[in-house]
Amino acid sequence: MDLLDLIDAVQSVADGVLFGATYSLLGIGFTLIFGVMHKINLSYAAASIGAAYASLLVMSVVEAPAVLAFVAAAAAGGVIGGLVYLVGFRFIPLANPLATLMSTVGLLLLIDEIIVHATAGVPLSYPALFSDVIVQVGPFGLRGDLMFVFALGCVCMTLLLLLLYRTRLGLATRAVSQQATASLLCGISTTQVNVLTFVITGVVGGIAGAMTGAAIGMLSPLLSLPLTVKGLIVTVIGGLGSIPGAIIAGLIVGGLENAFQFFRGVSERDLYIMLLLFAFLVFRPGGIFAKSSGRD
Amino acid sequence: MDFYLGLIQIIGVHTLLGLSAYCVLLTGQVSLAQAGFFAIGAYVAGMLTVLAQWPLIPALAVSAVVAGAVACAVGFPALRVKGLMLVVATVAFGEAVRLFFFNFTYQIQAGTLHLGPHGAEGFRQIRYFPEHGWSTLDVVLFIWIVVALVMAGLWWLDHSRVGAVLRAVGEDELAAQSVGINITAVKVSAMTVGGFIAGIGGGIFAHYTTHIEHAQFGVVLATFAIAYPILGGLSNVFGTLLAAVFIQGFLIEGLRFMGDWRNLLFGGLIVLAMNVRPRGLLDAGTTRALKRLFAAGKERSGA
Repeated sequence: MDLLDLIDAVQSVADGVLFGATYSLLGIGFTLIFGVMHKINLSYAAASIGAAYASLLVMSVVEAPAVLAFVAAAAAGGVIGGLVYLVGFRFIPLANPLATLMSTVGLLLLIDEIIVHATAGVPLSYPALFSDVIVQVGPFGLRGDLMFVFALGCVCMTLLLLLLYRTRLGLATRAVSQQATASLLCGISTTQVNVLTFVITGVVGGIAGAMTGAAIGMLSPLLSLPLTVKGLIVTVIGGLGSIPGAIIAGLIVGGLENAFQFFRGVSERDLYIMLLLFAFLVFRPGGIFAKSSGRD
Repeated sequence: MDFYLGLIQIIGVHTLLGLSAYCVLLTGQVSLAQAGFFAIGAYVAGMLTVLAQWPLIPALAVSAVVAGAVACAVGFPALRVKGLMLVVATVAFGEAVRLFFFNFTYQIQAGTLHLGPHGAEGFRQIRYFPEHGWSTLDVVLFIWIVVALVMAGLWWLDHSRVGAVLRAVGEDELAAQSVGINITAVKVSAMTVGGFIAGIGGGIFAHYTTHIEHAQFGVVLATFAIAYPILGGLSNVFGTLLAAVFIQGFLIEGLRFMGDWRNLLFGGLIVLAMNVRPRGLLDAGTTRALKRLFAAGKERSGA
C-alpha cells in the first residue's frame, strides 16, 4: 500500500467517525429506554427516521432556514416518542416482555409503512448544512456537513449527560433504572419517568434521524432497519446502560464500518461489524467499560 | 386455485419457521437467529438436490441436521447472555449468515447452465419439484405432512417431562436452577431443536420458490419467526399455526383488496393485538375455555 492509499484509508475512517455520532445518539436512546423500563424498543430507529420525515413536512409548509429542520425533527421525535409509549407500552402488562417486544415490532412496521405511504416509497432529499465547506487539514479534507453532524451530536450528548446527572428529573430517571420499586416508595412516579424518558429519547432520536438525513443527503424508509441493527450493536458494544460506552462505541462502529468498506468492499462491510459484535458478546459481554465481573 | 395452493404452501413453511422460534421462546429466550438457520437449511438443501442430485428427503434431513448443529454451536456463546443482549447477538448472527450468503459463490457447469449459489444474484434453478413431476397439490400435501409431523412431535414434547422443564426455565430461571435443572443444557437443546426445525422449513422453502437469495432471509423474516408464536400465544403449538394463518392468510393476503392501506393495517393490527391480548391470541385461558366447551359438548352427545 502506498502513501496515497493510506491517506484515503485515514480519510474514510475519519468520515466514518464523524458519521458515527448518529450511531452514538441511537445507542444512547436504546440504552436509556432499556435502563428505565428493562424493555427493548425496536421501533426507536424507525421513529427517528419518522421524525426526520416529519421535519421535512414542516419545511415544505413553512419557508425557513435549514437549521429549523433539526429543531422540527427534535420536536417531532419527542411527540412520536410519547406516542410510542402510549401505544406500545402503556396498556401492556410489564411482566410480559414478549408482548412489548412484539408491539414495538408492529410499530416499527407501522412507522415504515406510514412513511412509504406518504412518500410513495421515493427517497427524499434532506437539507444539509455547511455542505459546501471543506476544512483542509494537511492532506485530509473534513466535510463541513459531517463536521456539523458530529458537533451537533456532541452538543446533544453533553446536554443529555447534564440532564441525567444535574437535574432532579435525571436523578429520578437514574433511580427508576436502578430500582423501580424503591423509587416508587420514595414517591417517584415511574409512569411519569417512563413517559419523560420516551419523550427525551424521542427528541434525541429525532435529531439523530435528521443528522442521518443531512449526512447522507437523503431519507428513505429503507434506512430504518440498518439503523436499528447498528443502534443495537452500539448499545451492546458500549455496554448495556452505559452512556459513555454508547458514545465511544458509536464512534468506533462508524470508523470501523468505513475502514472495512475501504479494505473489503461494501458487500462485506457489515459482516465484519457483526463478527466484531459477536467477539464482544463472547469475550466482553459487559461492553467496553465493563468491570471484569460485570457479566449478565 | 393455484393461488390458494401457493398461499397454503407459504402458510405451511411459515408455520415451521414459527414453530422453530416457539421451541426457543418456551425457554424464555428471544432468538432472532431463526432466519439464519432457515437460510442455512435453504442453501444446504438446495445445493444437495441441485449440485449433488440427492433426493429431497435425505437433503432435507441433512439440511435440518446442519442447521441444528449450527444452532447448537451458536447457542453456547449466545445463551450466556440474555434479554436484550441475546436479541442483539442473534440479530447479529442472522445478519452474518445473510451476508455470508450474499458473498457466497459456488457454481458448477451443467450443460449450458451455471448451477449453484451466485452471491448477490442468489441461487436459481432449484427445480426439484418440476423435474420430478410433483404437482402443486403434491407439494402442498408434502409440506403439510411435514408440518403435522413437527407439530405432533412438539405437542408430545410439550406434554412430556421435557416440556415441563422447558417451561420451568422460561418462567423462572433461578427457580429452575435451584431444583437441579441444568439451564444451559436446556436452552442449548431448545436452540438446537429450533435450528433443526428451521432447517427443514428452509429446505422446503428453497424447493417451492425455486429461487433463493440473501435478501429473503433478513431481519424482517426473523421478526416474523418470533411474531407467530408470540402473537399466537405460547400455551400450545396451535397458537403458532393460528398466527401463521392470521398473518399470512388474513393480514397479508386477505387484506389485499385494501391496496396500499394493507401494509399500514398490518403493523397497526399487530400493535392492537398485543394491546388487547398480550399473552397471544390463543392463550392459556382461551385454551381452557375451548377444552371445557369441547368437554361439555361430548357429555351432551354422550348422554
